[in-house]
Amino acid sequence: MSKYETIIGLEIHVQLSTKSKAFASDDVKFGGAPNTQTGVISLAHPGTLPKLNKKQLEYAIRLGLAIDSKINPKNYFDRKNYNYPDLPKGYQITQDKEPICIGGEIPIYVKGEWKKIRIHHIHIEEDAGKSIHDQNPNFSLVDLNRAGTPLLEIVTEPDLRSADEVEALMGGMRQLARYLDISDGNMQEGSLRCDVNISIRPFGQEEFGNRCEVKNLNSMKFARKAIQYEVNRQIKLTESGGEVQQQTLNFDPATGKTSTLRTKENANDYRYFPDPDLPPVVVNKEILEKQKAKLPVLPWEAFEVFSKKYQLSDDKAIQLISEKSTAEFSLNLMEKGNSNKAISNLIIQKLKPWSQENSCSISELPISENQLLDFIELIDNQLVSNSIAYERLFPLLLENPKTPVKELAERNDLIQSSDTGELEKLIDEIIAQNQGKVKAYQNGKKGLLGFFMGQLMRASKGQADPKVANKLMIEKLG
Amino acid sequence: MKIDKDLILKLEHLSKLQLTEEERKNMIGDLNNILKMVDKLNEIDTEGVEPLTYMTEAVNVFREDEIKNQLSREEALKNAPKTDGKFFQVPKVIKK
Repeated sequence: MSKYETIIGLEIHVQLSTKSKAFASDDVKFGGAPNTQTGVISLAHPGTLPKLNKKQLEYAIRLGLAIDSKINPKNYFDRKNYNYPDLPKGYQITQDKEPICIGGEIPIYVKGEWKKIRIHHIHIEEDAGKSIHDQNPNFSLVDLNRAGTPLLEIVTEPDLRSADEVEALMGGMRQLARYLDISDGNMQEGSLRCDVNISIRPFGQEEFGNRCEVKNLNSMKFARKAIQYEVNRQIKLTESGGEVQQQTLNFDPATGKTSTLRTKENANDYRYFPDPDLPPVVVNKEILEKQKAKLPVLPWEAFEVFSKKYQLSDDKAIQLISEKSTAEFSLNLMEKGNSNKAISNLIIQKLKPWSQENSCSISELPISENQLLDFIELIDNQLVSNSIAYERLFPLLLENPKTPVKELAERNDLIQSSDTGELEKLIDEIIAQNQGKVKAYQNGKKGLLGFFMGQLMRASKGQADPKVANKLMIEKLG
Repeated sequence: MKIDKDLILKLEHLSKLQLTEEERKNMIGDLNNILKMVDKLNEIDTEGVEPLTYMTEAVNVFREDEIKNQLSREEALKNAPKTDGKFFQVPKVIKK
């Protein structure tokens, strides 16, 4: 057990799922041919003026409302100045002094418990273009399709204590962005990435150590590796009497190591100042109310309902909140039905896999709610056994969603016989045919029960209610 | 603020420009004059006056989220000092 505590804060970049850029009307779709999604504003031609995408403001406010941020009533934009070919203007438009959302917290689920991560602020900004350094020996190549793509930067307080918590927050952020319909949260395509600020301190110490920032981690695997490497480096350095210097680091996925990008002394001087090209944004009541109305049930709220009201296990509740459509579908069905366990099992074991196989939302299921509730009732009333319902009746229902489910079960001979007279007759026959094995069973070879049950299930064509049949069989075998 | 060679070198770095020694000397003189002129403004009492950032009173000027006015790649690359027809080519920014 290490005597050092790991302290982590994140700067998360979320790329918003708008059609067009933050301050220009170029297409932002992923994967277009290089330099086919630009215009005079993104290319910084003289005399052009940026104009804010209304959606970007709305999405920022929606996220802020979801996590209980204070929404800044008056917003300005600032220029963050730096000369680099990936942004031809020579500056990035961002919010330095007055971010759109202040404070708030995101609940994360980690190791079986919920923990609230405080948010420092969220601000609106634009992405830079892409530079490619390894395709041409003499030049760097620049693709400006991404330049100006709308981003939100979410800055957390240093509340995270492990790579597990970082992973939970990134997963939670992706989930929340998808619930709110503001981003696809796809890390592979760069819609979600983070800078990680890492420091260590001896357990019990109040004061934080000097922090190092690892830039631009676009996969959880790399983030984990970078954190692990960095924590070890800082502990080793401290243990050998050195001091961690505040600096910005690069992570090299090939070596798994971090290396210095900038030290505190030669930190970039961004010379922020208000961008006179963009008039202020006043968030009025109308804008706020419109976004409040768009808030769906949130993942941690749905979890609470599944676990408290419907008494489901945490594990099941977590599975049901994975996607908004699943959570909403489940809440709705449980509200109408009266067997929450059976409903949750059906959704987790059948409906979710169906939506994954068909890459569509669970709400696109062709089977109506009433049919699903009738299906569950058949199981509940033990008219169809659980296994028959899942393995045979459900596929039939998918093919014939309009046929009443009970009719479907009857027509296909799936109603199970809990008629003990019928069962007893079958059991007697089996016992008569297998006298040797019956003796062995009675002499202590209890494992043979499985054999007898197998025979019975075959004889009843799988329609015997397993519980009733099991009980009867044990009685008869004596 | 003291305008000296160190400051000029820092500004050169930030603006990605390189001056000759002669130009640096001139620049020190010019910048000092500019600062002196701006200092004049400090003589005015601005107590209680909000900084003026914008020349208009306009607020909430938005764009709808629509795609339009895009340039073709050919047009986009037309003014590039160097291009391969697909990308802008710039001096290597990362040394391998």
